[in-house]
Amino acid sequence: MSIYATAVKKPITTLLCFVAVIVFGLYSLSKLSIDLLPDFESNQLMIMTPYPGANASDVETNVTRLMEDGLNTVDDLKELSSKSMENFSVITLEYEWGTDLDVAVNDVRDKLDMYRSQLPDGAGQPTIFRFSTNMIPVVILSVESKESLPALYKILDDRVANALNRINGVGSVSISGAPQRIVEVNLDPKKLEAYNLSIEQIGQIISSENMNLPGGRLDIGSDTYSLRVQGEFIESDEIKDIIVLANQDRAVKLSDIAEVKDTSRDKIEESYTNGIQGASIVILKQSGANTVEIADKVKAALPEIQKNLPPDVKISILMDTSDSIKNSIAGLTSTVFYAFLFVVLVVIFFLGRWRATFIIVLTIPVSLVASFVYLLASDNTLNVITLSSLSIAIGMVVDDAIVVLENITSHIERGSPPKQAAIYGTNEVGVAVIATTLTVAAVFFPLTLVTGMAGLMFKPLGWMVTIIICFSTIAALTLTPMLCSQLLKQDPGRSKMFMILYGPIEKILDWLDNFYERTLRLVLRRRLITITGAVLLFIISLVMGKSLATEFFPPSDNAQMSGVLKLETGTRVEITKETAKRIAELWKEKYPEIEALNYTLGTADDDNIFAVVMQDNGDHIINLNARFSSMGKRDRSIFQLTDSMRADLAQFPELKTIELNPGGRKGGGMGIPTVDVEIYGYDFDRTNAFAQDLKRRVEQNVQGAADVLISREDFKPEYQVVFDRKKLAIQGIPHSTAAQYVRNRINGLTASKFREDGDEYDIVVRYGKKHRESIEDIENIIVYNSQGKGVKVKEIADVKEVMSPPSIERKNRERFVTLSISAPSTPLSEVVAGVNSELKQMDIPADFGIKVGGSFEDQQESFADLGVLLLMVILLVYIVMASQFESFSAPFIIMLSLPFALTGVILSLFITNTPLGITAAIGAIMLVGIVVKNGIVLVDFINLNRERGDETFKAVISGGKSRLRPVLMTTATTLLGMIPMAVMPTEGSEMWRPMAIVIIGGLAFSTMLTLLVVPVVYTFFSQRDEKKKARKAAAEIALLESLKSK
Amino acid sequence: MKAVFISFNQALREDIILVFDELGIKGFSFWEETQGRGSHTGESHFGNHAWPTLNSSILTMVDADKVDTLLDLLHGLDKRNELLGLRAFVWNIEKSI
Repeated sequence: MSIYATAVKKPITTLLCFVAVIVFGLYSLSKLSIDLLPDFESNQLMIMTPYPGANASDVETNVTRLMEDGLNTVDDLKELSSKSMENFSVITLEYEWGTDLDVAVNDVRDKLDMYRSQLPDGAGQPTIFRFSTNMIPVVILSVESKESLPALYKILDDRVANALNRINGVGSVSISGAPQRIVEVNLDPKKLEAYNLSIEQIGQIISSENMNLPGGRLDIGSDTYSLRVQGEFIESDEIKDIIVLANQDRAVKLSDIAEVKDTSRDKIEESYTNGIQGASIVILKQSGANTVEIADKVKAALPEIQKNLPPDVKISILMDTSDSIKNSIAGLTSTVFYAFLFVVLVVIFFLGRWRATFIIVLTIPVSLVASFVYLLASDNTLNVITLSSLSIAIGMVVDDAIVVLENITSHIERGSPPKQAAIYGTNEVGVAVIATTLTVAAVFFPLTLVTGMAGLMFKPLGWMVTIIICFSTIAALTLTPMLCSQLLKQDPGRSKMFMILYGPIEKILDWLDNFYERTLRLVLRRRLITITGAVLLFIISLVMGKSLATEFFPPSDNAQMSGVLKLETGTRVEITKETAKRIAELWKEKYPEIEALNYTLGTADDDNIFAVVMQDNGDHIINLNARFSSMGKRDRSIFQLTDSMRADLAQFPELKTIELNPGGRKGGGMGIPTVDVEIYGYDFDRTNAFAQDLKRRVEQNVQGAADVLISREDFKPEYQVVFDRKKLAIQGIPHSTAAQYVRNRINGLTASKFREDGDEYDIVVRYGKKHRESIEDIENIIVYNSQGKGVKVKEIADVKEVMSPPSIERKNRERFVTLSISAPSTPLSEVVAGVNSELKQMDIPADFGIKVGGSFEDQQESFADLGVLLLMVILLVYIVMASQFESFSAPFIIMLSLPFALTGVILSLFITNTPLGITAAIGAIMLVGIVVKNGIVLVDFINLNRERGDETFKAVISGGKSRLRPVLMTTATTLLGMIPMAVMPTEGSEMWRPMAIVIIGGLAFSTMLTLLVVPVVYTFFSQRDEKKKARKAAAEIALLESLKSK
Repeated sequence: MKAVFISFNQALREDIILVFDELGIKGFSFWEETQGRGSHTGESHFGNHAWPTLNSSILTMVDADKVDTLLDLLHGLDKRNELLGLRAFVWNIEKSI
């Protein structure tokens, strides 16, 4: 027995099956965690190798190039880039999307092991880093403090970080911007010389004084005692009293030759929030933890933590990712709700019956809820993508139920009892329903195969819609007929009230039927004119499409902005601080939209590898982060605000480079799109000059270029100490010893650790600040040989000033410099065209390579992928339809609606002035599956009429007229389901708006033309078939007659 | 004994069995799916895409005195909904075992 017959005959079983699905769905929903985006694994690995003391060129030659050669041969590598800077080499490996990074990491580790022995001795162990969405902070807290500032780090570490770490799901809590304690021993070189002491000896003495040693075990009587020798400093003041030199008659204390200070590090990164100095605390989550839940718990814990803090320390929330998640989810939830409401209205408008409407609308929650089960089973979250899938699918899930119910109703009207009508009515359209579902699945299933950035978004979307649509078909074939058999009556009476309300609507619908019939007759009489007109329209739209702007992802307003401002390299930190303060005050006053403005400046600690790699820092660099009030509460978008803020910065001539990113992130698809011009060439001076020239031209001539940045920083002055090896050899001093002497005096020697309350602080021995401020101070450093004989640096070395690059960037083993142009308000395609025309006017040296990339490159790659996807989808849809009609020509006729969908897409983008981005392109691909549905319904019924013996024209007209309502109805549900997505201004809606616009435009336009052009083309094909058939029949009869006469 | 052959739209099956039970007709042969086309006004019932409906057929042997009542009831059934379609034909049984 068929599935629908079973369903109708066993209503209780059917009902309970669906109840079970709903219960499971709701249970899954309660278990699903909420996040902004699906988890994704990046396709990048980063390898960091420390090479302390080396400058950028040394790192490039000795570490980076060597490792690049080794790593270049790993499998699936797409791009290899590197940055060599002082003390560090950072190599980034970008893999093809879909590469298993676990395997890749092992592969890289093997290669590193192989090359390990060839690295210079001073180089440290290379570390491999992987990125993921877990590295996006959940909450950033800012801490304001006045009196407690010197002890802030310890206060925060003990009372805040520990408390937060105990929260379930919190991955790591890191504190930045708080001054860290240090014990400084600042020596006077003259006194050292007088006592014939060296820094190394002092360090040795401090280290040996500051020591606890177990002394063994001691048996006394019947007990055993352990013995300890206690020598560690209890107070930092004790260090002052260490005897560094004892003669017969007197002792020299450390305080005699040095100043011992228990203080905080002099070079730190300072952080200011709303003008008050303090620290910031970054909270990351554990992988798989629920962002919203953690943020809520952190916020709940804060009042309790605040109570335990000194009164001047105030903690506030600087950034809370869960805010934007909650807003986006709330926005999308209401989008889904409105879509649902519109669909209900459409169904009741066309059907005019409560019970029928109820039956159809019931398929929506049933199918949507079922998809939650999938989400839970596949370890997904409730995020922007999965919720948007619901809102895309909502208009389509009713289609199957509509077709089934319509047919059952017509059976009932002919007099079948509801039960039989349900079975046979479903039987008749079952195949067509499955076929239309397959065409939609043929579109959405390939989306699950998309890779790359776009794949991150469209993989869950593809799965969700495919599953929802398939489930809606199952519901349409079981639940709908079952409910029809139970709820529909043979002759539903209509009350007067109902007729007053619905009467006019029915008149409109009847008028529409008749109007369509007249129009159809007209176009069928003027077939050639109709077709020529349609083709012309298509060509015109293609011409318009040529001038359509493109983009990657539409930028979205998330109420954040970040930025990096740089002053002249080498500017003192005090001046940077002053400038930052003035800018912050100006903005704070001018923009009431700013809720929090945080900036950090200064040099990060050397051992803070992450800060060194992830963000530019230095005495001349200001890193900005601003949070604006949420979208509904302000008139200006973050793009307008950022533009205006950028204009303000023109008043600050001391700023050398300005980079402001609305949205907070740069590149990478989601943030502000950039066009990167990569200039490859070995010679620094020539590539720099070329980049500067191009920058000037772009700023002058290219419209919309906001920030133009050159990646290579200015050369910075450095002093080099060049030892004369001959003289060193005569003195018997190894080169490394001499170098170490210089380092210990200027940079300092970490002699030992001072321990207090379970924390340890460095004890650093070096020259006092005033003894390391000039070249002479370096030249006067005394280096001792193994016999204890001292010699000044100036006697064995030259100290000279040179300029050196702070970092060297390479890509695919070639040096390059990037000119990155961000264009928040102009489509990338226009910027690229501008840049290309500038490049054409310039002389490009033969040994230079120029490549235009950045977001634009990603965009090109993704569009190429989508092009292939489109072809695949069209082919799949053709196959599905050809097998349904068992004909090569029928699907071809139906697919004529595709060009008109394209026309609609182009027109709608043009009218709404939306650039063509990835989401719009995906929308266009979805249209392939959606628009052919109309054609299938239409051609299917015309075919039916012809098989029943109607001649072509009659079949076309009566078929068209009778299918008008189902076509309009399914179209209207899909269209209206999309409208909330296209118009509702919620956070993150920018991303989906183009898709909704494209689907609405394409579907509306193609439906109108499909209703006219498809019947016309159908008649051409059909007349040919008919003639062929008539000739064949005549030949057959003639043959039989000739046989009889024989 | 008379043979009655009834060909009817599948939707009418349950009603016919009801009539049989009413008249105490116990024995019959039943073909779930038969294809057919009416001679005068009837639509085609081919179970295909163009003519999706199918007929069922019943052949039953009844006592001669029940035939008229049976035909009347069946006729009523057909009258109730002529679009569905029901036809019955009666002929004599010569012999049986």
